Amino acid sequence: MTTNLQNSVFSSPSPSIAAQPLLQARQLFCERDERILFSGLDFELFAGQLMQVMGSNGSGKTSLLRILCGLNDHFEGDILWRGEPASEQREQYLASLLYIGHRAGVNRILTPRENLRWSAALHSPVDDHRIEAALARVGLRAYEDIPCRNLSAGQTQRVALARLLISQAILWVLDEPFTTLDVQGVKDLELLLAEHVAAGGSVLLTTHHQLSVSCEVGRLNLDEMRRLS
Amino acid sequence: MSGDIRSEGNSNYELQQSVSTWTAFCATLKRDLLIAFKRRNDLLNPVMFFLIVVSLFPLGVSPDPMELTRISAGVVWVSALLASMLSLDNLYRADYEDGSLEQLLLSPQPLYFLVLAKNIAHWLISGLPVVILSPLLAYMLYLPAEAYTTMVLTLLIGTPVLSLFGSIGVALTVGLGSRGLILAVIVLPLTTPVLIIGAKAVTDVMFGVPLASHFALLGAILALALVMSPLASAAALRISVN
Amino acid sequence: MWLWFSKLGSPRWFYELSSKWLPWLYALMFVMLGVGLVWALLFVPADYQQGQTIRIMYVHVPVASISLACFPLMAIAGTITLVWKMKLADMVAKSVAPIGAWFTGLALASGAIWGDQIWGTWWAWDARLTSLLIQFFLFVGVIALRSAIESPDAAAKACAVLAIVGAINVPIIKYSVEWWNTLHQPASSISFDAVAPNPPEIWVPLVIMILAVYVFFAISLILRTRNEILQRERRAQWVMDLVARDQQK
Repeated sequence: MTTNLQNSVFSSPSPSIAAQPLLQARQLFCERDERILFSGLDFELFAGQLMQVMGSNGSGKTSLLRILCGLNDHFEGDILWRGEPASEQREQYLASLLYIGHRAGVNRILTPRENLRWSAALHSPVDDHRIEAALARVGLRAYEDIPCRNLSAGQTQRVALARLLISQAILWVLDEPFTTLDVQGVKDLELLLAEHVAAGGSVLLTTHHQLSVSCEVGRLNLDEMRRLS
Repeated sequence: MSGDIRSEGNSNYELQQSVSTWTAFCATLKRDLLIAFKRRNDLLNPVMFFLIVVSLFPLGVSPDPMELTRISAGVVWVSALLASMLSLDNLYRADYEDGSLEQLLLSPQPLYFLVLAKNIAHWLISGLPVVILSPLLAYMLYLPAEAYTTMVLTLLIGTPVLSLFGSIGVALTVGLGSRGLILAVIVLPLTTPVLIIGAKAVTDVMFGVPLASHFALLGAILALALVMSPLASAAALRISVN
Repeated sequence: MWLWFSKLGSPRWFYELSSKWLPWLYALMFVMLGVGLVWALLFVPADYQQGQTIRIMYVHVPVASISLACFPLMAIAGTITLVWKMKLADMVAKSVAPIGAWFTGLALASGAIWGDQIWGTWWAWDARLTSLLIQFFLFVGVIALRSAIESPDAAAKACAVLAIVGAINVPIIKYSVEWWNTLHQPASSISFDAVAPNPPEIWVPLVIMILAVYVFFAISLILRTRNEILQRERRAQWVMDLVARDQQK
């Protein structure tokens, strides 16, 4: 893994602080509907690490991911990106982040190609070959120009996942990415995650699915956290 | 990657940044227009609504040309206002439901410009057709010939303000399950200055009143709306997605 | 300064402080209201143009001036909510909205009664009444939005944004309505403006009434805010202690 890191596509700003965690949460506290979801939550995510957030339904997994992305601000505590508060470098942070939530972010009227073109342009535009290659890789060859409303739920999810392939983000935040995928889709995604991690990227994901990936899987269990606190 | 760019120097980084903001702005504008043109039937609705509301007035008030001339400016303006309200719902609704709004908020580009792009798209789809159709309706209401140019010009300046103000209301209510008429209750009072000035300009020109102050005021409101309302919409979207 | 500011943000501190203030405010209000009302209704000479009707002014002007102050107040509270996330500011903002709507409604009603006497009609599209009416709609919008959003936190922020947008709009509305009205029809020569250059026996009671109604407004706002504090902090220890003490009495 260390050898991989050296020729990784993601160069950190200065090699001397390579040991610094990419993403760090300190003393996170979140309350929803008068119920404490988590308090005093600390964790670190390093480059080249995959972390699975575990917990029962309603334990706050989605809230945690949304808080880390800055979509949800009902929390107290600090979120650090490369050692600095994420809120003070929002632009750089968001440029390094890719989030795929419950709702895929795929417009039903547009085609997969048009959807991806827009998604890419929000970060950094890519040419059409890369979009076609990405769609082919997620098994949507020949579906590039079909309106997404004609695709199945699993295929729509694949369109969303194709964003991972055209993105340059080092940190992937995925909320239940395996839902609606078929057996082959699950395998493909697991391979994709392992490749990203091997190239020095990081993944933070929630899933109830038993991950079988070639890399090491870090675990963050919200249920245990609550029991301890 | 971002490290490479930064090391090349700050000015280069800023240039790169503004280029990609412009790209994201254009892509968002293009996307919303594309969606609208793929749903051509919906595209006609605001215009048809405008046409129907305007034709209700002769039926409800009187077909007498004198009377219609007197109210024509107000009728066209009020109908344009209502037509713009009707079409607002599409502005963020679908994006909220399919998760595209989250992607928009997570773009590293300034949200101000992305929201502005969506508002411009909304105006091109719903406001501009109303402006284009307005002379025909003015003719049906016996608006005097000398007032046509003024009417089209005031609508041209005023309808973007309606889209911009409306966007704030939609952004505030997009997360609500059942919105009913709340959008109209929030937005309509905000739009009264535009209605007052726009309709009055058209009426005044019929009486030969000089118009400079009307256009100055409308222009000032448009400028203020362009600067402030995308900011308010952006803040409102962040709150609604929360 | 900062310490004072963060202390002020504590609902408990506000609740305890306002408990001490309220009796004084009540006393002040009753004295001023008594003096002002008696003076205005019994001793002020009838106007040479408007006769006894001028006495409505002593209610209308204070009420209208407060209704104008409510929107900026709500916007300031909203800004504090958004920027410093201070809970107390939102409780105040939430309490101001209905009071502002009520005061605007009272200003409209007293204006209508006055209009019936002077203009011979309950409603005229007078610049002042029209902009009050639109402002009333704005308050209704804020209240409707507050009740439509379920999550209190989201409602607080959404209403703050709307209040700020509305507060920026209020002067524009006021200005454009005045502009529309003066050009439309020659403004009625008889209005409350006629009172301005009057002798002290007319404006001194007016100032007293304005101050009295301001104190009344402050009391209403404090009471509503205290209610809101108890409602939201009902699980806090100090509120439970308070309730327990009350029940013992």
